[in-house]
Amino acid sequence: MRIGELPNLIQKMRSTLSGKPERRKGRVRESLVSGLKRGETVLEARGITKRFPGVVANDHIDFDIKAGEIHAVLGENGAGKTTLMNILFGILRPDEGGIYVRGRKVEFKSPLDAIDLGIGMVHQHRKLILAHTALENIVLGHPETGKIPDMRRAEEEVGKLCRKYGFKIDLNARVWQLSAGEQQLVEILKALYRGAKLLILDEPTSVLTPLETERFLKSLRAMARGELAIVPFITHKLPEVLGVSDRVTILRKGKVMKRLETRKATMKALARHMVGREVLFRLKKPKVKIGKEVLRVENLSALSDKGILALKGVSFSIREGEIFGIAGISGNGQHELAEALAGLRKAEGGKILFRGKDITRASVLQRLKMGIGYIPSERVEVGTIREFSLVDNIAMNLYFDKEYFKWGFLDRGKIREHAKKAILEFDVMAPNIDTKAAHLSGGNLQKLILARVVPRTSRLLIANLPTHGLDVGATEFVRNRLMACKKEGIGILLISEDLDEVLQMSDRIAPIYEGKFVGIVPAKKARKESIGAMMAGAPLEKTRKREGSR
Amino acid sequence: MWSFIARSLEITTIFLLASIGELLNQRGGVLNVGIEGLMLLGAASGFLTALWSGSILLGFVVGTIVGGIFGLLHGFFSITLKVDQVVSGMGIWIFAMGFTTYWADSYSGPLPKGLSPPGIGGYLSPIFFLAVALVLIVWFLLSKTHLGLKIRSVGENPSAAEATGINVARTRYLCVVVGGLSGGLAGAFLSLDYFGIWGHLLTGGMGWIALALVLFSLWRPFILFAGALIFGFVWQFSISPEAIAPGLGIPLGIIRMFPFIVTIIVLVVISTPKFRRKWGLAKPAALGEPYIKE
Amino acid sequence: MRLPRLKLEKVVALKGWGAAKVSIYSIITAFIIFSAFLLWEGANPIEAYRHIFSFAFDPRLGLVSTLHRSMFLLFATLAFILPLKAGLWNIGMEGQFYLGTVGAFAVAYAWGDLPSGALIPLMLIAAALFGAGYGVIAGFLRGKLGVNEIVVTLMLNLTAFWLIQFLIVGGPWAGIGECRSRPLPDSAVAPEIGGLPFTVFLAIAISVIFFILFTRSKVGYQIRSFGSNPSAARHVGMSPFKISVLVMAVAGAIAGLSAYHMWAGDPRFYMIPQPEAYKSIGDLTYWGIMVGLLCLLNPLAAIPVSIFVGALKVGGPVLIRRMKLPFGLDLLFLGILFLSFVAFQFFYRYRIKRVKEKR
Repeated sequence: MRIGELPNLIQKMRSTLSGKPERRKGRVRESLVSGLKRGETVLEARGITKRFPGVVANDHIDFDIKAGEIHAVLGENGAGKTTLMNILFGILRPDEGGIYVRGRKVEFKSPLDAIDLGIGMVHQHRKLILAHTALENIVLGHPETGKIPDMRRAEEEVGKLCRKYGFKIDLNARVWQLSAGEQQLVEILKALYRGAKLLILDEPTSVLTPLETERFLKSLRAMARGELAIVPFITHKLPEVLGVSDRVTILRKGKVMKRLETRKATMKALARHMVGREVLFRLKKPKVKIGKEVLRVENLSALSDKGILALKGVSFSIREGEIFGIAGISGNGQHELAEALAGLRKAEGGKILFRGKDITRASVLQRLKMGIGYIPSERVEVGTIREFSLVDNIAMNLYFDKEYFKWGFLDRGKIREHAKKAILEFDVMAPNIDTKAAHLSGGNLQKLILARVVPRTSRLLIANLPTHGLDVGATEFVRNRLMACKKEGIGILLISEDLDEVLQMSDRIAPIYEGKFVGIVPAKKARKESIGAMMAGAPLEKTRKREGSR
Repeated sequence: MWSFIARSLEITTIFLLASIGELLNQRGGVLNVGIEGLMLLGAASGFLTALWSGSILLGFVVGTIVGGIFGLLHGFFSITLKVDQVVSGMGIWIFAMGFTTYWADSYSGPLPKGLSPPGIGGYLSPIFFLAVALVLIVWFLLSKTHLGLKIRSVGENPSAAEATGINVARTRYLCVVVGGLSGGLAGAFLSLDYFGIWGHLLTGGMGWIALALVLFSLWRPFILFAGALIFGFVWQFSISPEAIAPGLGIPLGIIRMFPFIVTIIVLVVISTPKFRRKWGLAKPAALGEPYIKE
Repeated sequence: MRLPRLKLEKVVALKGWGAAKVSIYSIITAFIIFSAFLLWEGANPIEAYRHIFSFAFDPRLGLVSTLHRSMFLLFATLAFILPLKAGLWNIGMEGQFYLGTVGAFAVAYAWGDLPSGALIPLMLIAAALFGAGYGVIAGFLRGKLGVNEIVVTLMLNLTAFWLIQFLIVGGPWAGIGECRSRPLPDSAVAPEIGGLPFTVFLAIAISVIFFILFTRSKVGYQIRSFGSNPSAARHVGMSPFKISVLVMAVAGAIAGLSAYHMWAGDPRFYMIPQPEAYKSIGDLTYWGIMVGLLCLLNPLAAIPVSIFVGALKVGGPVLIRRMKLPFGLDLLFLGILFLSFVAFQFFYRYRIKRVKEKR
């Protein structure tokens, strides 16, 4: 800290108190976006370049979107999608290049400028206030909402919008009660109510069930018919979104790889442009002899954090060397299942048998000592302790072992040795083993968690969203390690939102929907479409019938 | 009997003033555990002002303003400097403990005769009605106005609120200053009206009970009002039990413990699983977390 | 003129020398502000500090007092540090101290005719047990039901104050006149080692034990894990309930022990004085919060800092008398120091950096 920094501190305080001076009173500049005709270019981005230390996130990107058009932007994680999206919405400013709205050059000092110009964004992680009603969220912060908002009139106006685009939603419900798809509608309505004519969508279908996706795509088409311009940014679920888009732009490593009209595109070509090589990577599944039963679950139920029954009686078993995959959209009970098996959540009903013993009432510590390992889904909040060094993080699974903690004291030498070996084996990249976990990237954090859990797991591994949010390299590493565990005869429960991952890695697959298994399907017999349908609730028999009739 | 009720209501007034400000604070997401400190400062400055200037009204005004200043300070620490809100609140409290002892303890004693606070029917102060009005105003503000909606949003999800154009920092500063003002007024009322005397650490824990009251109230002004009434009664009862139950014969020390034990009991009750859920849902989601702009 | 844009860069919990610098800066700032007050009162700050420290550290004058008070403060600090390492705010040292008083005195009054060799250990055990029990209330409620321990410990403080009042003002332990308790039997008085009551060394020993415990023991590891990330700790089988209860029990025990140190270790007491006096001792425990935070929860660092603060506490009244300053000046310093420290907290987490504007 230097004393010279003090005047800046005062300036900071002053600017905080006076509010953002650059913000204009937000009335949508009607002159700029009114009277848009179908096919007219709403927004054009020319030569957008943005650099971060060590990487060029966007490299001279050109992009344009016309009214009434759906123009999708495709790209892997790290291709520059997020940066481009943030620039278009005013969260970031480009180093080079410019944005032109209806031919006029504009500069966004903050997202509010973008909103004023009729650009709306729907975020992947909802920016909604869960405790408020949908209507309150829509109305919040709107410059034309009076001191005492007239909620009835707002409801009417929003209702009109809903009818226009075919949205079905209860405006007076609290947002936390709404499904992911409905929450997304609220965000869209919020943008539309604010006068948006251009909508940027961030991974709009990633958390929707197939049924919700269908409905959503229908709404998109309705919105496009109404002269709105829509730009969805997506990574997966290519077929669905491409089905409704007019044009698609593919980004890779910050550059525009290709831009085509969708009717001229094929799936394979798109994937190739996205990744630069044959995408469909087939995981080498080792030939493993499946042994005796390690885990048997009978009619297990558990409550969610809100106190509602989220897991409603599931039964299954896992054997040594077997990967049992649970496919489902988040929020259908799989998280509660994972925690109940790990001992972190009370079983409301049912039994858990581990190698024949009833462990339903066993504590987390007892289960850890039995050789059950748990890889939690949140690596930063829960899976690691960011203030601790790598060594201390690994010690998290050692502290209860007399080998490493004699007479209540740490055996520093032994712990460090174990940590060194584990960090090496699991390829955790860090300056040294005393580096704090906070300095690690996402991929390395996940590897750290594996290094902590896997060597201490001898029988059963529960992997909760192990590749969630990781880049390709880390994902591959994690999957290979899980396969290695399989070879060692460890039974694995794999929970994943990535259907391809589940299909490729599991020996048996159980789609979960609203707390129940829709069925348990051996991998050989599993088809992506039918599993996907089951994830959305379609019962086992119906899908079989559908396949048979083909 | 009437005197007991009047005194009870005076304590209720103090609790109300101290806690309604904190309720507003917390709805905006800022936790201020230093209410006791705000009250001490308001009480000391109000008392000394009245003593030196001869005007009780001026005493009230100064006490309130001093409270507002320290509310602002807490805001500066928590909002701009993003210091841990608990640490900041405790800092205000411990500072108040030290400062008021140094400043006012040498003047310990009653206000000179002739300086008497206004009262209706000679007993009930108009400030009681001010406190009740404040409850109504805060209720109306939070549930019916756009500003109230903004405040609630800032307390639930500041980044979402910011995305809609709300200035989170400004909104929180507003709440924290109002909280400070009403805390200061509560303290001034204590020293000038209820007691008319200054003594070492005059507030004796009331600020902490006010904090607990906000937690009990599930952040709803009307429940807070009910709580303040109950605790006003309990507190006054612990001071003069003979007015209600003469001949109870419980020694002074023991009966003075009542309000604190009752507070603990109520805290425990609302933490049981049954109430837990309701409480968790009512709690402003971002309470106590500094907001960091992305 | 365009003012440079600032960027807040998050630092991961500043440790070691960098963090110590922050504490030192806040102490210096507090001194500067306090000196301003002194000047305003018409006193020369340099002279004032000279008065304070020359008295406090002079073996013929204040040294024994200084060390005695410092160790009392050390007890309170340790009782604050331990729970905070686990993430719990123990503000209840005052109440735990009072309960320790109750325990020690109860034993002393009941079995006063026992020889010192038997009585004193019993008093210590009772003081520790009573303090521990009081701490456990908050620890249990927090561990089992998640009740906020700040409010609970505070309520318990206030309750305990009245408990002592009940006992000594016209109550079962009342002494002759003036709201004091009966004196302690002679056998209860703390024996001295090198002119200091043995409890001084007890405090230092506990401090060293804590340090070793935190860095090298299994329990210390669990406490630290819990303090850094309670969810992660839960995920590897650590029990929030057990840890809450454990730390609060031990903290309460330590604060309870401080009661024996205070009343049986200082010849001016050997009894419980009237409410104003025992309250002012109780108020001292809040310094424990300050010292604990300043030392960044390091029990060894707490020793010199406690001595420093003890010197201020002992030298302060002397200063007040000699230079005719208002009463309570030392409490004022505490308050200023705390605020200054809070302000400097900012630099624990963030560095202010100028953003280089690219044109």
